[in-house]
Formats: sequence, C-alpha cells, structure tokens
Amino acid sequence: MLNLISFQSSPLAALGQVAMLLALAFTLAGLWLSVLGGLRSDPRSTEAARRSVWAVFAFVSLAILALLSALLRDDFSVRYVAEHSMTTSPTWVKITSLWGALEGSILLWAWLLAGYAFILSLTLRRDALRPWALGAMFVSLLFFVGVVAGVASPFTPLAQIPLQGQGPNPALQNHWMMAVHPVLLYLGFVGLSVPFAYAVAALITGRLSDHWLSVTRRWTLMAWVFLTAAIVAGGWWSYETLGWGGYWAWDPVENASFIPWLLTTAFLHSIQIQEKRNLLRGWNIWLIVLAYTSTVLGTFLNRSGIVQSVHAFAGGPVGPVFLGFLALLLIGGVALTAWRTPKLRDLGEAPAPLSREAAFLAGNWLFLVFSAVVLLGTLFPVIVEAVTGRKSSIGAPFFNTFSVPIGLGLLLLMGVGPLLPWRRADGESLLMALRLPVGTGVLAAIIAAVLGVRSVAVLLTLALCAYNVAGLATLTLRAARQRGSLTALLSEQPRRYGAYTAHLGLVVLALGLAFSGAYKQSGETTLNLGQDKQVLGDTLRLESLREAKYDYGSSAITQIRVNGQSFAPRMNVYAQDPGTPFPTPAVRYSVLGDTYLVTTNIDKNGKWASIRLIKSPLVSWIWVGTLIIVLGAGVTLLSPARPAVRKVTGGAVAAD
Amino acid sequence: MSAPSSPQLPQARRRRKNPLPYVLAGVALAGLLTYIIFGNLAQSIEYFVTPTEYKAQAANLQGHTVRIGGLVRAVKYDRNSLDLNFNVTDGSATFPVVYQGAVSDLFKENQGVVVRGTFNAQNVFHANELIVKHSEEYRIPRSQSELKDMLKNAKDANAEGQ
Repeated sequence: MLNLISFQSSPLAALGQVAMLLALAFTLAGLWLSVLGGLRSDPRSTEAARRSVWAVFAFVSLAILALLSALLRDDFSVRYVAEHSMTTSPTWVKITSLWGALEGSILLWAWLLAGYAFILSLTLRRDALRPWALGAMFVSLLFFVGVVAGVASPFTPLAQIPLQGQGPNPALQNHWMMAVHPVLLYLGFVGLSVPFAYAVAALITGRLSDHWLSVTRRWTLMAWVFLTAAIVAGGWWSYETLGWGGYWAWDPVENASFIPWLLTTAFLHSIQIQEKRNLLRGWNIWLIVLAYTSTVLGTFLNRSGIVQSVHAFAGGPVGPVFLGFLALLLIGGVALTAWRTPKLRDLGEAPAPLSREAAFLAGNWLFLVFSAVVLLGTLFPVIVEAVTGRKSSIGAPFFNTFSVPIGLGLLLLMGVGPLLPWRRADGESLLMALRLPVGTGVLAAIIAAVLGVRSVAVLLTLALCAYNVAGLATLTLRAARQRGSLTALLSEQPRRYGAYTAHLGLVVLALGLAFSGAYKQSGETTLNLGQDKQVLGDTLRLESLREAKYDYGSSAITQIRVNGQSFAPRMNVYAQDPGTPFPTPAVRYSVLGDTYLVTTNIDKNGKWASIRLIKSPLVSWIWVGTLIIVLGAGVTLLSPARPAVRKVTGGAVAAD
Repeated sequence: MSAPSSPQLPQARRRRKNPLPYVLAGVALAGLLTYIIFGNLAQSIEYFVTPTEYKAQAANLQGHTVRIGGLVRAVKYDRNSLDLNFNVTDGSATFPVVYQGAVSDLFKENQGVVVRGTFNAQNVFHANELIVKHSEEYRIPRSQSELKDMLKNAKDANAEGQ
C-alpha cells in the first residue's frame, strides 16, 4: 500500500492516502485509549480518546477535501477521478462523483461517521458510559476508515495519466436528486451508529436503565428522519429519471434501505415503553443492534454484487470485508446481550392486552415480520443459487402480497395506539373512544365505493386513513379545548404533537401509495410530426423534435402537446456511453394525479417519436406526506431530552 | 390472547411473568410466516434461463414468469402499432417472442437481449419487459459471464458462417 504513495506522480492522491493512514492511526489510538479509560475508570485516557476523535475527523476531512479538489481540478493522476469523472461534466456532477462510485461512497460514509463521532465527543456527558460509547464509535470508525485506507482506497495513483476521464455513470448525472439521495441515506445509516454505540456501552457497563435511551433518543429520531427522507428521495429520483412512472420496485438495494427503516421505526416506538413503563429493556437492545447491523447488511448487498440490482457496483474485495464486519456486529451484539441477559429482565409487569404499550408492541411485531419478509425475499434468490445453482429473482408481486396487509395492520394499530392510555384500558372506554374514528372510516369507505372505487385494498386504506385522521383530530381538539389553543399544545408537548403530525404525514403518504399503485395507467404509441393521436383518452400531438448539444453529450427534445398543454420530455445521451439513451420524462404534477410523458424512441431524421403516457393519481401525496412526516419529526426533536415531570408510573415501578 | 393478569395481587407475590404465551405466539407467528412465505415464494420466484435450459424444463416453467436471455433473430417491428415479433436463440434452441411497446434502435439482429414474461402452451414467449443488453455495467442478467460467453460464441459462429 505504501509504495502507492507518490508525491511526485500524484500529489493529491498521496495527500489523501497519508491523511487516511493518519486517521487510521488515530482511530487505533483512540480505541485503545477509550478501552483503557473504561477499564481503569481513568478520565485522562477518556479525554485523550475524545481528542483522538477530533484528529480522526480532521484527517478524514482532509482526505475528502483532497479527493474533492482532485475531482474539481480533473486530476486524472488519481485513479478514482480518471475512472469516474471527466473534464466536460458540469461542476455539480463532479462534486457528486465524490460518492458516485464505490470507493468514494465509503469515504463519504467514513467522513460522516467521523463527523457524528466528533459531535458526539462534544455532547457526551461525563458518565460511566462515556469511554465505552466512544470505544464503540471507534470500532465502527476502524472499519470504515480502514476500508478506505486499505482495500477500497480512492487514492490509488495512476501511472499513465489519461487526457480524459471515463466519466460518471449516466444514471447519476441525469437528475440533481442524485446529489441529495445518497447523502441523506448515509446520514441516516451513520446516525444509527450513535444509539448503537450507547447500547454497547450500556451492555458493557451493565448500566441498563433507560439513561442510554434518553441520551440517544434525539440521535435515533434524527437518523430516522434522514432515512425516511432518503428513501422517499430515492423513490422520487426513480420516478423522475427512469421513465417507468413508478417510484418503488422492491429492488434489493431499495429493500436494503427499507429494512433499517422498519427496524428503526419499531425502535422509536418500543423505547417509549421502556421510558414510560420500564419494560422491554432487552428487546430495545436487540432492536438497535439489528437496525445498525442491517445498515451494514444493506451496504454489503449493495457493494458485493451478490444480488442483482440496478445499484450494484462492481464487486472486488469489499464484499467479504463488509461480510466480516457484519458478522462481527452480529456476533459481538449477540454475545454482549446474552452475557447481560440476567440484568435485562424487565422490572414491571407484562403489558396488559388493552394498553398503549400493547398496541406499540403489536406494531413492533408487525415491523419485525415486515423486515423479515423483505429480507427473505431479497436473499431468497441468493439462497436458491447457492443450493441449486439456478439464477432467479423474486418479483414485486411477492412483496406486494405481504406489504399490503402488513401496511394495513400498521395503519390500524397507528390509529388505536394514541387513543389508548398507558398501563391499562377498559374495553368500554376504548369502544367509546373508537366510535367516532371507526364510524368515520366506514363512512369514508362507503362514499368511496359509491364514487366508484372497487379495489378492496384501496377501500381499506381509505377507511383506515379516515379512521386515523378522525382519531388524531378528536384527541387534538379535546386537548385544545382544555388548554385553550392549538399553539399552546404544540409548545407544551412538542413530542406528542410532532408524533401526531408525523402520523398524519404517513396517512397522506399511504393514500398516495394506495391510489397510485392501484390506478396507474400507461399507454404507448408512435407519433408522427403534427399528427393527433388518442392515448388514454388524451389528445397527443408531436409539435417538434430537435437536438441540443452539450459538452458532456446531447439531448433530443420533443415538444408534445397533451390536451393543449405543452410537455418537453428529453432523451439524453452521455459522451461516455453513447449507446445508452437516457430518458428524462416530463411530469406535470397536480394534486389529483400526475401526467407523465416519456420518449421511448426517436427518429434520427426528426419525423416521429415513440412515447409513453402514464397517468397515476395522487403520486404527489407521497412527496407531500413525507414532507409532513419530516416536519412532525422536526417538532418532536425540539422537545426536551428528558420529560420535566417523571410519570407517576415511573415512581411506582421504581418502588417495585 | 394471553391470560388476563390479575391486578389485585400484591406486587411482592408476583413471580416472574410466564413466558409460555409469548413463546407460543412467537412460534405460531413464525410457523405461519414460514408457511406463507415458502408457499408464496415458490410461486413468485422467477428463473433466469437460456433457450436451451427452457427447452429442458418447459414442463415446469410453462406459464410461470421467467427471464430468458439470448440473441435476437428475425425481427419484425411495426413502429406505429408497436408490435414486435422476433426469435430468441442461443444457437441450439430458438423460441418466438412477442412484445408490445417501443423499441429503440439498439434492438437489432444478433443483439443480446433479456426478456421477461411467460411462455404459452404453443411455446410462444409473451414478453412484458425487454432489456437490450447494451452495456457491461447494466447488471440485470444474473449470469452475466455465462451470457456473455454464450453470446460471444454465438456471434463468432455467426461470423464464421458468413
């Protein structure tokens, strides 16, 4: 590795590589110091470990700046730049090339992890968990910094410097969303390392009260927000660039980001049972271990090439290394948790069947089953090939059969949970509380059926959404009448009303999913210049077809009128892959349904174009719903880390 | 589902909760899940085959969604109706394919292609998805190396024939 560092042939590559090696050295030192600080309860070692985090962050930042500057200067003496960038790309594409391929994306991951570790080092309380939480962060850092410094270094110099780089993957420069989605995703993945580190620290020290949870609640929620936004941003990218009019295909790597989301969502709910009722202490540890492990699993699937996917990068030695880290996390997590099992027994009584915690727990089970199904569907082709040697894949129908009923079950629980009190509810008052929401749901379904909705899944979704909204509205209005105003509620209990807002966002999103999934229509035809044609009941006319040339390629732009409105879908061709035209659909967003037009083939002489028209209702509700979720979670993040008044139940349990 | 617990009991006398209902519920859930998944998975699995492989397993695969990879021969395409007919071959077995939809200029004789769809009883493949093998980076076919070798061999054989 060291003979690859040459300041003469490639100064920036050498700078980056040296910075990563120094970061690795400080990571090792920090790990050693934090373990020492933990074992000997030596605050000076812990302090030194804390400062090592700063050094690691500084050096990884230096490395990422070196790569960025190499990309911006078209320094093709750096192999990564030569293979994934080119002089003629616009600046924003050069910047996104930083994470547009394998080595760079792991460097970004390492940098974000170092950044989180840095913030954590500033906010850590001086308690017994401190050295071990730092130590666990260093273990994660050791892996990612080590991978960048070792097997997947973006800083390999190139002996023969080309005049022009090979350029980024066309799919990544076709839409600005590719600048946003990976960063959001990594912020989400990496964010989970903090609660994981605290869980490990709690296990090692045996301080398994809810302290580690209340310290990391904000971190978890933040990671969850990033993850939510990232997944939907990925869906939006798919909708805006791939030209199939959909946003989710159950692609293995989509699944790989969805599994951590499911587990984190479960965790966010079950930690409340521990906070309020002192139950599920072991369960929560398991959930966060699984959630963090699943982010690594996702990356392993993504990078190893063992599953077929539109995201799969070329393999290389990174796959086995990730598999090793995955095994370490799982085995380490299991061993630690098993060792502490005697201390993880719950103090309180088991949840009563009719209580908020029971609803949360049932939701947890559904989230777990959901992630197990998604994981199994994703890995099944791999298992089949290993056993029988046959190539196969699992189609979307498999996932849809499960996700629809599970999703409906979750909507059902989401509506009843907030209506139930903690500890115990009696059936009579629950029936009273449910009367209005259930009535509203049934009414909504009847109205929809009269208006012509025939799909059972859509009717059920509608009913459950109406029932959720009615439940939330009842709770909020009742409280508002007591307190005087809505704004007072929001400022007094941001956590609760933030959660309500997020639930409302999820309702909007669910409606978008149900309607766009069930009522998507698509039609294809070939239009001759100036000729009117009917597609899906709309009148289409091809007005013009012209070519625009750019430094990095060219675009064929078609002007098409749909019922008098003008659309300009494009077909982009990038210089590095002239054989692959990339469609850019023209989408007109509207509240009730989008009109989506994509050119599928064009005539070189400009006489005709083949087009696909897609009409899907309520797609924009998915994007708006996500925005509401993010907003609600943001409000919740504003709430104080620890409730000002301990719940009465807390005292009762403590006396137990 | 679980037995109702009795709140009247004093805390001190409460033994550790009985885990049996939870274990039973978990086992029942896992069993149900396994049953559903494996029943459904067998139906949902889509195999990737070459024409020769399909010929050997036609009895099992007919009517199921499969991906079939091979070379394009005898293209008939109507731009206005978007009706496409062609043959897919790997040299030793050949099947007719029908597809409805726009086809780019990349689609031509001897091009490598992967189609997804079902065979009918007359051994005509009805494709609902057509992937022209245009770039090494496009990784949809699982057996990229196999397919590549196969296509290369077929191409060489073709060149010799001319």
